[in-house]
Amino acid sequence: MSLRGFIVRRTIYIVPVMLGITLMNFTLINVSPGDPVVVRIGLIHCESPECYNQAYNKEAIEMGLLDREMYTVPWFTRYVDFVNDLLHFDLGNSWYNTQAGEGIPIAQIISERAIYTITLNVISFVLSLLLATAIGVVSATRQNSFWDRSLTIAMLLGYSMPLFWLAKLLMLLSFSLFNFTGVANKDAFRKPLFLNPAFYKYLILPTLALTLGGLVFMARLIRSQLLEILRQDYITTAKAKGLDNRAVIYKHAFRNGLLPIVTIIGNSLPGLLAGSVMIESVFGWPGLGTVFLEGALFRDYPLMMATNTIFPLLFLIARLLTDITYVFIDPRIKY
Amino acid sequence: MATVDREEREEFLLDEKTLREIDTMKGAGQWSIVWRRIKKDKMGMLGLYIVLFLILMAFTSWILLSFDQFLTDRDILFGDPNNSISLNNLYVELWVPGMPKENPIVLFNHPRYQFADQAKLPPSFEHPFGTDRNGQDMLSRVFFGATVSLALGFLGQMTTVIIGTFLGAIAGFYGGLIDEVLQRIIEILYSMPGFILMIFIIVLFEDVNIPGGRYAVVVIFFSLIGWGGTALIVRSNFFSLKQQDFVEAEKALGASDMRIIFKHILPNSLAPLIIIVTLGIAGTIFLFAALAFFGFGDPNAVSWGDDLNKWQNDLIEYPWMPMFPALFIFFTVLGFNLLGDSLRDALDPRLKD
Repeated sequence: MSLRGFIVRRTIYIVPVMLGITLMNFTLINVSPGDPVVVRIGLIHCESPECYNQAYNKEAIEMGLLDREMYTVPWFTRYVDFVNDLLHFDLGNSWYNTQAGEGIPIAQIISERAIYTITLNVISFVLSLLLATAIGVVSATRQNSFWDRSLTIAMLLGYSMPLFWLAKLLMLLSFSLFNFTGVANKDAFRKPLFLNPAFYKYLILPTLALTLGGLVFMARLIRSQLLEILRQDYITTAKAKGLDNRAVIYKHAFRNGLLPIVTIIGNSLPGLLAGSVMIESVFGWPGLGTVFLEGALFRDYPLMMATNTIFPLLFLIARLLTDITYVFIDPRIKY
Repeated sequence: MATVDREEREEFLLDEKTLREIDTMKGAGQWSIVWRRIKKDKMGMLGLYIVLFLILMAFTSWILLSFDQFLTDRDILFGDPNNSISLNNLYVELWVPGMPKENPIVLFNHPRYQFADQAKLPPSFEHPFGTDRNGQDMLSRVFFGATVSLALGFLGQMTTVIIGTFLGAIAGFYGGLIDEVLQRIIEILYSMPGFILMIFIIVLFEDVNIPGGRYAVVVIFFSLIGWGGTALIVRSNFFSLKQQDFVEAEKALGASDMRIIFKHILPNSLAPLIIIVTLGIAGTIFLFAALAFFGFGDPNAVSWGDDLNKWQNDLIEYPWMPMFPALFIFFTVLGFNLLGDSLRDALDPRLKD
């Protein structure tokens, strides 16, 4: 089978998993106590019961719980409708984010906000991967040296520190040093975004926090993986051949240690995404995480459904990319 | 003859590390070897002490709060337990012989007791951790908050591990269709970021009325969605163990499947389970603290995460209010991580650096 065939197969594999995820989200909403329509009308002011009933029926029809003749729509039909809408990129309208009394389409919110999340996450992921590699190599090659010990302890402390609290402490530190808390405000996001110096200024602290969060996790992993590999016989052989240390580590040890590292980092991506939600919320970064958390606090069901579909999709795509990188790293893998 | 002897001995010459390891193992069972290994690991012992200290703290505060009336009747505690705002209801008091009995040194107050005119005080002799905006003593809040914070971590992790072990054992032992279905379910659960899914669930089930309040919902759903990792590990363990001779022998003797699974294979895969529980408690406590921090906890509960949520924006002005609960979450996670790492090294020496 060709590489293309492998990629196509893996891509198609996403479909049943996504179906399962949407079904789970859908079931959760349906088995939860309380009427979503009541939650929805909680945001509408109504005094007389007639007005209330009218609003109730209108909302119920709009949400697809009742059909035009006021019959309850069976859950299966609603699920099919929901998936059908998803396939047309129609995620419904937000309840909480409104413009002139109408809910803003969620697809629009997400396409506007995704750029913030992606910028933050890509930069800090690349940074933390590079730094973690450096720290891992330094620690593993000089095992039990002063640097190794202090780095290991620092990593352990960082690993046990709740990420949101790390972000808060960074904020405190930056406030006491530069009188700058890093909480994003409006002029950070003036367009054009990437030519706006304020944008980069407010990007620093969230990136730093998220980088540290990923770094402590990856550095521990890379260190233990490299230590495992450096004990192997072929490393001794390579050293005995008279290769210099650099060649031994980067040509012989590192490439072999890469595979498990890629696996674990690929599998831990949901955790890293959750970390990004926390960091975004602490610094008021207007990415998808903040949108999700705000929506959750105000019980914005459609928005939560949408984010709960999009985060797993992002994760599945990331894992697809991980699987494809395997093929390039490990020549033994047959696709 | 002499030369041959010497050569032979040289061949078996072991390095110092291995000799020490042999010395550790001499005349001991599996668990006492593990214990000896942990005892040698300084970091692991530090973790163990932290964990033991926290468990003791949580247990003491639980007893004080729940056996309030009982202890008061026996003159161990003073005050009126039903009136948490009464001035006399100061909780743990130290009476030093020779001092007047009406005026003992107060160690901890009732966690909900408010000192009316003592809000926002920085740490002092009277209030070692300061007081919060409501005039509650932070030391007492932290002390009594240990119960909820630790108990939730324990309960949540134990239930996930039990569910995961059971399902993983069934899947690993029988294989086939059950295994396939279970793996697909785990796949789906695995691709949801746990933190986000938990928030989704908490918001949906906000109106539910069950004893234990919001945290009961959190624990129940956490154990329903969190068992995937344990199940995968137990499953792979069962796959390798079920082909071993002792299982074969057991089958030949006519033992039932359940007996083989729970009496013979499971005890042999206990080591990874212990590691999962220890490291998992750290992760669970962290997750619940994070949920509370972002406002999805129970605002009426006395727990570190909820205090952190309440005072998070006071960090710059009144740093002691959020700092101490956060510090205790940090120590708890650190202790369980240290102990878990040490246990892993002790139970599976192949992984040791």
